[in-house]
Amino acid sequence: MATQIVMDQTGDTRYEFDPGNAEALARAEQRFRELTGAGFTAAFRTGPGDVTRIKAFDPTAQETLFYPRLVGG
Amino acid sequence: MFAALWFHAPARARLHALRELYRRFFGENTPDARGRRLLAEWLSPEQRAQFEQYRYFDVIGCDTGKRYRIHYGTAANVHEIDDAGLATMGWCFVPSGFLVPGDVMLAQKIALETDEKGALALANRFPPATHSEHFYRRPF
Repeated sequence: MATQIVMDQTGDTRYEFDPGNAEALARAEQRFRELTGAGFTAAFRTGPGDVTRIKAFDPTAQETLFYPRLVGG
Repeated sequence: MFAALWFHAPARARLHALRELYRRFFGENTPDARGRRLLAEWLSPEQRAQFEQYRYFDVIGCDTGKRYRIHYGTAANVHEIDDAGLATMGWCFVPSGFLVPGDVMLAQKIALETDEKGALALANRFPPATHSEHFYRRPF
């Protein structure tokens, strides 16, 4: 199972999907587009503590994290 | 026996015990605890050890190689530090919305490690001495 983690006021909301299921994969890709379109940044781990940002949906990513647009505090 | 002790305990002690019980059984599912858990999962082993001991961790900016210290908090919690670990500048940038400290800190880590210039371009600077060390060491 792969997971998309979206930061929100509850801490995070997780969406699990089976990458081998074409329909679930399409829904995950749609969610990716909607979130990044709304200003979220997507990233996944490449190693312990190492992170890479992604701008396109990666069907092989086991865990993708989304955080909202950054603003000056 | 527990019931006998319970009913003889002063009201204040019972209240304290109830609070502790609540914290232990339900605290792990609070937004704050979930944020801290997510943060811990995404930190490097060194950063996690540093965070557990000091409630802050250091990251290296991907563009300049500068070192930043991210303190536990949701605002004015990022400091650029020198080789001695002293703060030279404060940088304030946060994810929009009202996120818990763990989430804010993780977003700041990812931003500095993957798009340092982009993060600093929108950040507001502040003098590093705005908050004392005590300010950042408040309990979770």
